[in-house]
Amino acid sequence: MRLKDKLPLSYLLFTTRGRINRSAYWLVSAFIWSTFYVLHTLLRDFVGEGATYCLYPLLLGSLVATATKRLHDTNRSGYWLLVVLVPVLGPLWLIYQLGFRKGTPQQNGFGTVPNEAADYLKNDRGQSIPHRPTAERIINDVTQLNPVVVAKVFRPTSIAHLQERLRTTTGPISVGGGRFSMGGQTASQQSLHIDMRELNQIISFSKENRLITVQTGIRWCDIQRFIDPHDLSIKIMQTYANFTVGGALSVNCHGRYMGHGPLILSVRAIEVVLANGTLVRASRTENPALFYGAIGGYNGLGIMVTAELDLEDNVAVRREHQKLDRLTYRPFFVESIRDNPDAVFHNGDMYPPSFTNMRAVTWVKTTQKPTVKKRLMPLRESYPLERYFLWAFTETAFGKWRREHIVDPLLYLAHPIHWRNYEAGYDVAELEPRSRKKRTYVLQEYFVPIWHFESFSEQMSEIFNRYQVNVINVSVRHALPDSGSLLAWAREEVFAFVVYYKQRTHAVEKNKVAIWTRELIDAVLSVGGTYYLPYQVHATPDQFHRAYPNAQTLFALKQELDPAFRFRNVFWDTYYHPTVTEPRSLPQHTTNYE
Amino acid sequence: MLRLPILTMLMVLLAIILFVRHKRNQLTIPAGKGCVVPKDWLVSNPHPVTPAEHIRPADQTFLTYPEWFLVHSPAEIADYAQGHTTTTFPYMSHVKQLWQSYGVVYDQIKDAFPFNTGYHIMIWVIGVSTTVEYAMKALYETVVGRLTNPTHGGVVTDEDTFNAKFTQDYVDFIRVRPWYEFDFKSRIPALFTNTSFFGPHFLRKIDRKYMLLTELLIKAGYGYLIKLGTKASYDEALPTTAVIVDQFPPGFGSGPSVDHLQTYPDGSALLLLPRYEAFHPAATTLAQHGATFREIAGNNSAILITVLAPESWQPVSPAFRLVFTQPILTKPGLKRVALVTPVGEFGKTIRFLSGETIRVEHVYDY
Repeated sequence: MRLKDKLPLSYLLFTTRGRINRSAYWLVSAFIWSTFYVLHTLLRDFVGEGATYCLYPLLLGSLVATATKRLHDTNRSGYWLLVVLVPVLGPLWLIYQLGFRKGTPQQNGFGTVPNEAADYLKNDRGQSIPHRPTAERIINDVTQLNPVVVAKVFRPTSIAHLQERLRTTTGPISVGGGRFSMGGQTASQQSLHIDMRELNQIISFSKENRLITVQTGIRWCDIQRFIDPHDLSIKIMQTYANFTVGGALSVNCHGRYMGHGPLILSVRAIEVVLANGTLVRASRTENPALFYGAIGGYNGLGIMVTAELDLEDNVAVRREHQKLDRLTYRPFFVESIRDNPDAVFHNGDMYPPSFTNMRAVTWVKTTQKPTVKKRLMPLRESYPLERYFLWAFTETAFGKWRREHIVDPLLYLAHPIHWRNYEAGYDVAELEPRSRKKRTYVLQEYFVPIWHFESFSEQMSEIFNRYQVNVINVSVRHALPDSGSLLAWAREEVFAFVVYYKQRTHAVEKNKVAIWTRELIDAVLSVGGTYYLPYQVHATPDQFHRAYPNAQTLFALKQELDPAFRFRNVFWDTYYHPTVTEPRSLPQHTTNYE
Repeated sequence: MLRLPILTMLMVLLAIILFVRHKRNQLTIPAGKGCVVPKDWLVSNPHPVTPAEHIRPADQTFLTYPEWFLVHSPAEIADYAQGHTTTTFPYMSHVKQLWQSYGVVYDQIKDAFPFNTGYHIMIWVIGVSTTVEYAMKALYETVVGRLTNPTHGGVVTDEDTFNAKFTQDYVDFIRVRPWYEFDFKSRIPALFTNTSFFGPHFLRKIDRKYMLLTELLIKAGYGYLIKLGTKASYDEALPTTAVIVDQFPPGFGSGPSVDHLQTYPDGSALLLLPRYEAFHPAATTLAQHGATFREIAGNNSAILITVLAPESWQPVSPAFRLVFTQPILTKPGLKRVALVTPVGEFGKTIRFLSGETIRVEHVYDY
């Protein structure tokens, strides 16, 4: 833990490191002077004039420390405080510098912008196990619901390094990047866990062809930072930019983009390291079976190490929105969003608990000037307002009603215009609660052929209300059909129902979630849809195979490419039972559907 | 980090409580709640005999008090500076006395006269300026001055001596002329020529040079601006006060300070006396020659007088009423007493005061 987090006040008052902004400076100055006045008066009145002298080191020390931090904010050294020795002009200049001048908008030599995080929220590098001095580490995901003990963590720094490791070892392997999947898709018990986050180089970039090739340990936000100066934008990604490319490819993710669909639609080619350490290139024409099996294949066939991705222009987008009834949503969407060439992002938010009202939010291309100056989303150290709203919506009486009828109407009063890269740069940190110990926020997702939108919504809302699920939001997005990945979730044009809910973390509650999840899966299967796989593995094998009819083809391919069943994770451990390898006991927490 | 805002709010609240509580009630003591002056003493003269160009509003005798406090206060500082460094001077108490006394005098006139906007604005401007100046000085002296001040608090450096002289010259000047006409600029080179660079108490010398230079520079600049502003918004004030006495005292020759302008058929006389500081000695001489005042600057209502008297002085007379008292903080045992008397009783009151062991500080001649 950094000193800054442990002792915020003494860090602020008595160290000269870091930066503070104007409002923090005013606040801390008010604190210093009022405290000095109070202590000075009390000491003088009750102890004696002489006793007040002990306050001076504290006063002068804290004044110098806070002023130095403020100077740092405008990229000046603390030695500039000596300017105070110039009569009149010195103090005036300092008052302006300290109290009124804006800090430099980017990171400078003295640190990051105050209240802005240095980087996107990251998961740890594997927690060590207390009192167990082995190489074993606990690999967990962002929900903290799926701890898995792995034998060792390995961080390759080059592809050759990774190939070497696979060639020279046997035994199970799990692969993780950002680890934002929510059902143990990045770990398997006692496996060698490969943390891909150091394979994060940009291999080639062509502005003319709007094409970029990257190592898959890179995060989407890193690509955004690289391509933004070239006025380019990622073609398809998810809403949050913390994820690694490899992770997003493995789950074949999608975002809020219009006219697109699963991530695979923007991938030209990939390179895969197979279980024996060989490197294979795959595209729609070259090793197509591997291409379609690896993307969206939950790391069953091999480790995707590079990807060639399409890019698009970074345009300014303006937010438009309307509130409408659930029954009018699909006609509205088909009529005015689906084929609108200007629509860039779209989602429809369903308001719990009745799910009858929706707010359709569309970001359309515009030639107007963006209303925010920054081209990329600034990261914040904390999101107190977001945290408060999430708490209020989920824990207070009428919280959901207030959100629908008071908070959201106020939030949507503005008509912001963002750069496409800004709007695609959210940080998962904004969703993070203070603690995930007793309650946690979890995602699920269901894909419904667009003609069955109404009937699935009806069933979903009935199930949620019957089980009193604490749903925060159901966000509806749209996807065009997949181009052929074996575990395609969009085999035709679908609406994606992204369900964000809150659950308690004790066993009874986890079991309850498993039960309503399976009911919801049955509901989506009944309308010819599918559920999404990066989440908790509550579906029965039967449900899984009904939802993903091509899974058997993928299993056969895995048998061929990974005969020793090296590539594992909770997903594969749950649904894949090859006969050739020695039987392995299932991890405990995957047995809860029996 | 929610802790800091909460702590700050608590501390600011505590500081305000301490500041307000601190000796508040002993700094300015009103003679009573609200208006203590008889209502019939607070009526504008309906038919003044004094020529119109010499008439000034009746409420101004009260409103000039805060203005004059800003002469009394530097006078007290100059006096204090003879024996001590000004580092230990109670600046903030003077700020309180200024605003409290403004409150008291306003209480006397607010129901009797229409609101004198121009005058109040002027008081606010000089009041706020002085508050800022005194607060800055108090802050500087607390944070820096205290650390370099000799423990006995006496004047030991050339710079503190320079300060004492400068303060005294300044007070002598503002008794007769507006403050902004004072020549601050010429004091700046003097600060460096009249003091040595090295010497004992070196830190103190540096600190004082820094502080005095800052003060002189700011006052020179601010004075220049105020001079421009005053020229633009206020007319040049008359340097005289017109007085009507029931009869010109026999044997009182028209001297340099009293100008006998006119005698009316009933024997009353229109005289021109000097205004401000010199009004009091001239008026006292007249009173002692037995003159009875009918109008001062066209007014026959109440006129304010302040005296410096020992703590125990408790005068009672039907001719005047006490308005408030203020202790002189740097001279324990001494207090300022503000009293009012109707113009008709002014001569009598002055004669009474002359017989007491007190000093008339000022007569507020509208």
